[in-house]
Amino acid sequence: MRWAIGALGVGIGVWGAVLLVQLNLFEVGPWLLGGPVLHDVLVAPVVGLVGLAIARVLPTRWRAPVAVGLVLTATLTMLAVPYLWRAYSGPVNPGLHDRPYLVGYLIALAVMWLAVLTTRIRPHADR
Amino acid sequence: MKPPGFTSPAHDPRVSARIGMWLGIAFGLCFVTGLISHGVQHPAAWFTWPTRPVNLYRITQGVHVTSGVAAVPLLFAKLWTVYPKLFDRPLVKSVPHALERGSILVLIGASFFELTTGLFNVAQNYPWAFFFPVAHYAVAWIAVGALLVHVAVKLPVIREALSREVEPAPATGALSRRGFLLTTGGAAAVAVLATAGGTVPWLRDVSVLASRSARGVPVNRTASAAGVSTVDGDWRLAVGTRRFSLAELTAMPQTTADLPIACVEGWSASARWSGVPVVDLLRLAGAPPGSAVRVESLERDGLYRSSTLPANHAADPLTLLALRLDGAPLDLDHGYPCRIIAPSRPGVLQTKWVSRLEVL
Repeated sequence: MRWAIGALGVGIGVWGAVLLVQLNLFEVGPWLLGGPVLHDVLVAPVVGLVGLAIARVLPTRWRAPVAVGLVLTATLTMLAVPYLWRAYSGPVNPGLHDRPYLVGYLIALAVMWLAVLTTRIRPHADR
Repeated sequence: MKPPGFTSPAHDPRVSARIGMWLGIAFGLCFVTGLISHGVQHPAAWFTWPTRPVNLYRITQGVHVTSGVAAVPLLFAKLWTVYPKLFDRPLVKSVPHALERGSILVLIGASFFELTTGLFNVAQNYPWAFFFPVAHYAVAWIAVGALLVHVAVKLPVIREALSREVEPAPATGALSRRGFLLTTGGAAAVAVLATAGGTVPWLRDVSVLASRSARGVPVNRTASAAGVSTVDGDWRLAVGTRRFSLAELTAMPQTTADLPIACVEGWSASARWSGVPVVDLLRLAGAPPGSAVRVESLERDGLYRSSTLPANHAADPLTLLALRLDGAPLDLDHGYPCRIIAPSRPGVLQTKWVSRLEVL
């Protein structure tokens, strides 16, 4: 079973590599390597340090809610970036990409933080 | 083994196996629906795509983009659960161990590539030089291949971890294992709610980060971007050897249908279209039944200036040469004088400003 899954994976991956090498690897390469590098040297250490700061600075009952709020803030921020940073985007057309993204993003954050801080996420929620 | 310093209860196989399973499901949905979309746009000889239900492509492509969005927080959470492993020493113990670490690098690189390029493509934002569809398609195979290898290697660990309960919270006030899982699931749900209104009508006002707004049928390519200006009375639609003026088309029996425009970028919009069934035009032009049809646009160049209706779509009575949208004549940006609207097709193949139907 394991060998079958592994062999299938190798076959599928090799087919992807065959398709990939037909592209300009100088253009694609940085985008392929950029994710793991940025994550390992920047994103994960920052997450660790923020977690440490939460544990050191905040009173016990605020630690879980603030952690949840920060996770959701990061999620919404990542989804907002392609709309808020539009240096390389095409024209905005009627009905498409024409929402007030900054306002919407800020409202979503405000609603989410209000919900997180008022719905008493308890650290001992597991019973 | 956990190196010293990583005290979060989230660094645990029970947590990573569960998030990994959710992520695997999201990637699986993305891959299958992505292959479908690729197949519809570049059909192999053996591939056919049904015309019913009319919303089928709208659903598969909505699932594609939505499961990709959900995978974003899942991927970060998964990596956080296993981050201490990056510092395992010795770096490489054996050849199989080196291959395993290498396969994980490939998996993570390909996963970030797919999610990042996908998110930016939904916003039609291209901060890179390569052609998105080709690269996104190639790397999808690499991601899924590396994922299967990873599952094969870890299968005993996954089985063992999934069979164990996730235990209660520590007294430190930090997120427990279960709390971390709930937060991760919540983040995926928030990500979906924030974006899915691009295709799910009742979420339209909730999804502040959706690609489309609530105003009418979106225009993906304007007439001015396509270099198309309005036509005069000399305009004729060519169908095989027959020619039809706009007045003749308007005088023919019209079909009205609610059909969606469903874009490859994940947004969709249903509208009421009226026009002449393509199958009627083909009959008048004497085309043999069961023919495929190449549709050509007034647009001079551009990647999507023509499309091919496979035989089953060309024969479907709901495949329309649309003249009206929501009761009014098509405006120029929606394809005046006429456009193709067919059930269960990607929006880029719903050719606008049609000039010719060529029987294949």
